[in-house]
Amino acid sequence: MKMLDIRTRLLLAALLPLVLISTLLATVFLLARFGDMQAAYDQRNRAVVRQAAVASEYGLFSGNLPQLQALVTGAMQETDVRWVAILDSRGGLLVSAGQSGQAFSLPMSALEMQGFETDRRLDWLAQPVIPSTIQLDDLFENNGVGAAQQPRQLGQVVMVFSRQSVDARKHDMLLSGGVIGTLSLLFGMGLAVLLSRGVIRPITRITQLVERIGQGDFAAVDKLGDPSTEHGPLHELQNHIHLMANRLSQAHGELEHQVDLATKALRDKKDEAEQANLAKSRFLAAASHDLRQPTHALGLFVSRLAQLPHDRQTGELIGNLDASVRAMQNLLDGLLDISRLEARAVQVNRRPFALATLFDQLQQDLRPQAAEKGLRLRVRATQLWVMSDATLIYRVLLNLVGNALRYTDRGGVLVAARQRSSGQVELQVWDSGIGIAPEHHQAVFAEFYQVGNAARDRTKGLGLGLNIVQRTVKLLDHPLVMLSRPGRGTRFNLSLPVVAGQRDPVQDVPKDKAVPDDLRHRCALVVEDDALARSALVGLLVSWGMRVAQARGPADALDSLAQGLVPDVIVSDYRLQEGHNGLQLVQLLQQQLGWPIPACLMSGDTDPGVIQAAHTAGLTLLHKPVRPAKLRSLLRHLLMDKPVQRTTGVDLQ
Amino acid sequence: MAIVLRAVFLALAFGLLGAGAWAQVPDGSARLVIVSSDTSAVYVQTADALTDSLVRQGIPRTDISQSVATELAARLKSGQLPRPVIFVALGSEATQLLVAAGTQAPILSALSPRSSFERILRNHGKEVSTRLSAIYLDQPLARQLALVRLAFPQAKRLGVLWGTESSDRAAGLRSLVATSGLVLQETKVSQAEDLPLALAQVLAGSDVLLALADPAVFNSATIQNILMSSFRARIPLVAFSPAYVRAGAVLAVYTTPAQAAVQAAELALGVLRGKSLPDHALEPNDFEVGVNAYVARALDLSPDAQALRLALRRLERLP
Repeated sequence: MKMLDIRTRLLLAALLPLVLISTLLATVFLLARFGDMQAAYDQRNRAVVRQAAVASEYGLFSGNLPQLQALVTGAMQETDVRWVAILDSRGGLLVSAGQSGQAFSLPMSALEMQGFETDRRLDWLAQPVIPSTIQLDDLFENNGVGAAQQPRQLGQVVMVFSRQSVDARKHDMLLSGGVIGTLSLLFGMGLAVLLSRGVIRPITRITQLVERIGQGDFAAVDKLGDPSTEHGPLHELQNHIHLMANRLSQAHGELEHQVDLATKALRDKKDEAEQANLAKSRFLAAASHDLRQPTHALGLFVSRLAQLPHDRQTGELIGNLDASVRAMQNLLDGLLDISRLEARAVQVNRRPFALATLFDQLQQDLRPQAAEKGLRLRVRATQLWVMSDATLIYRVLLNLVGNALRYTDRGGVLVAARQRSSGQVELQVWDSGIGIAPEHHQAVFAEFYQVGNAARDRTKGLGLGLNIVQRTVKLLDHPLVMLSRPGRGTRFNLSLPVVAGQRDPVQDVPKDKAVPDDLRHRCALVVEDDALARSALVGLLVSWGMRVAQARGPADALDSLAQGLVPDVIVSDYRLQEGHNGLQLVQLLQQQLGWPIPACLMSGDTDPGVIQAAHTAGLTLLHKPVRPAKLRSLLRHLLMDKPVQRTTGVDLQ
Repeated sequence: MAIVLRAVFLALAFGLLGAGAWAQVPDGSARLVIVSSDTSAVYVQTADALTDSLVRQGIPRTDISQSVATELAARLKSGQLPRPVIFVALGSEATQLLVAAGTQAPILSALSPRSSFERILRNHGKEVSTRLSAIYLDQPLARQLALVRLAFPQAKRLGVLWGTESSDRAAGLRSLVATSGLVLQETKVSQAEDLPLALAQVLAGSDVLLALADPAVFNSATIQNILMSSFRARIPLVAFSPAYVRAGAVLAVYTTPAQAAVQAAELALGVLRGKSLPDHALEPNDFEVGVNAYVARALDLSPDAQALRLALRRLERLP
């Protein structure tokens, strides 16, 4: 059944019984009235006929036709009478009145007869005329011996009545009944509508109110104070809804308050965590900075020491020392990489390059490490070229293969490149190592996470490798997939876009080639506030054949220039005394000299801000500990286009 | 207590019933049995008057037994017919029952119309004799004619309607009328349909209408229209029964039950004392005259019933 709205239902509930009862009552009363009318009509007709029969008795007995004629003419005056006839005892028509077309021929009968002609709406009645008897009660008659004398029928009176007037009255009554019924129905409808409005309006209002409460508008309750409903039938309901809405509003407020509190607590926790993270970063930066200076110096010293002549035992010792220093420097480099990636200070230099060069370098760099562990490092030769940043990709490979070697005890590591039909080159690094359990697949990419190194053996690294890899490939937008089964090994797939091969791949890979004479007789200004580091750096540069001027700070540097020193290159520490920094100093000196003298900065800071600033200024920032080879490569690069300038400057050495 | 009361009540009830039975059931020793046609008041009065009259004449009450026709019929079926000296049958039914029963004792029939008695005789092939005699209910024609002459001295024409059961008296009446100086206007009504026409004819040619007892003509169904017709024609009707006077006849001469009882008692007493019944039917010797004053006034007449009776009695030389 179709759902009816409340208004229709109420109206139906009010009107249906009304309609039913009024219709029933009207029908019953009309039928009863019709019955009464018909009965009265029949009764009157019968009475008229009987009266006529009685009246005609003597006329029939005496054959007095004028009297009978007068009688029937008189009878015609009665209502509804259409035809009157008096028949003699043999059925012969004696007298009649009325329309002759309606003549009835009836058999004589001692019984009253009547009938109805449906088509003409005519009733006919026949009444026998029997002499009225007088109870004589005398012995001459009640002797029981003689034949009983039956009253002889004198004749018959036949009358025809028309139902027209009765029908007309019935019709009128039906009409007036219908009119009265309709009027009362309309009145009832009006009343029902009027009364139901008193109920429906508050209900509608309450419905709207509840809807608005449902939408969260608790204030709507206060608009309910309609005085017209003060004594309405639904006043109680309204009050209860009012109460409910208030409770809801309170509950809602409390809930919001609690949510606010919880949110605030969460925010506080987050702030706390961020604070803690910041503190960690600061600590890390500070610690690494502080570590860098001595390590930097140590590296430089060891490098210089190695260049000195010494016996075999000392040589071995120096070799070990050099390895240790390099490991330490690697760890610091890892931290530095993270800092740089976090600061988005890494600039992607996307170019086509040959993977073969990269692979050669890789093999060259890591073979000793593999050999040390007795592992087999296989790098499958390839002719493929890819479009990416060669330096960053090399760093990724270095980390991946380094990791593979670190976590493999038997077997070997395989590096291969495969071309896929999708226009991608897949770089694969396979190992037969310990593998990674599925539950650790996500965690291995986190900072400082190491599988199976709960004791944190630092010879196994800091656990930054995969984190660096992930950050790098994300920066390059290269998909990296790791497949691993514990005890069986791990495979990393890195997808790179392939390009057509080019002729000269030589310049694309950074190479630490020794060019011994390039730096000779070049003049370098070293600005370093740390005496030890300055000494080590100056020593190293001098060992490379350079002329070196040194300064503790900007003041010294300006003094040197004032004394006529014209350096070919400036090597400055970033953080200088008295709040100065290398960047400002370099810019100051360039301004003094009047030309953009090549310069490089060195910093123990992993502060991303510093890295970003140097990057912006177009200066190379070397991070301490600076590897001698790297420094040398940079200096050679900086001085490449510059002719050897013979200066008259004071050699501070 | 209740049981005692009930017993007393039952005893009383039986006692009364027993007494009633004793009084009504004709004793085998009764010498005269009065048989009424039914229990209507006329017969009861007549029977009582008859009994009283005989007792006054010295007949012991125990010699007289009263019975009703239906009761006697039941006794006849069981063969317990009483054997009195004489039966007095009151009414036609009682007469017919006794005639049919073929009793030894003579039967005196009283309160029977002449036509009924004659039909009974015809039906049973009997004749009036000393064993079966009657006192008619009908008045003698001469008395009725004399009443007409006394009451309507100006009347010249006498109208009479003869029916099938009365036409045998036409000759008697004609001879009487001839000597009285009246003109007889008579019509025979052989069937009911002829009555209106016959009546109209008679009324047209009469000054007074004399009704003679004949159920074929004068009965409760016809009397109203006959009275109406005669009244409209302003012809007075002289009838034969008080009922007709009540219904609208101006005059009637008739015998009352008491008068009939007295006459019957005389005959019965004679039989009880060894005489026999007369061998012919008797006509009532005493009578009354009834007048409907309203109808008489409407017809501008003023007959005096008592005077007429006396005048008639004088004519018949009765005391």
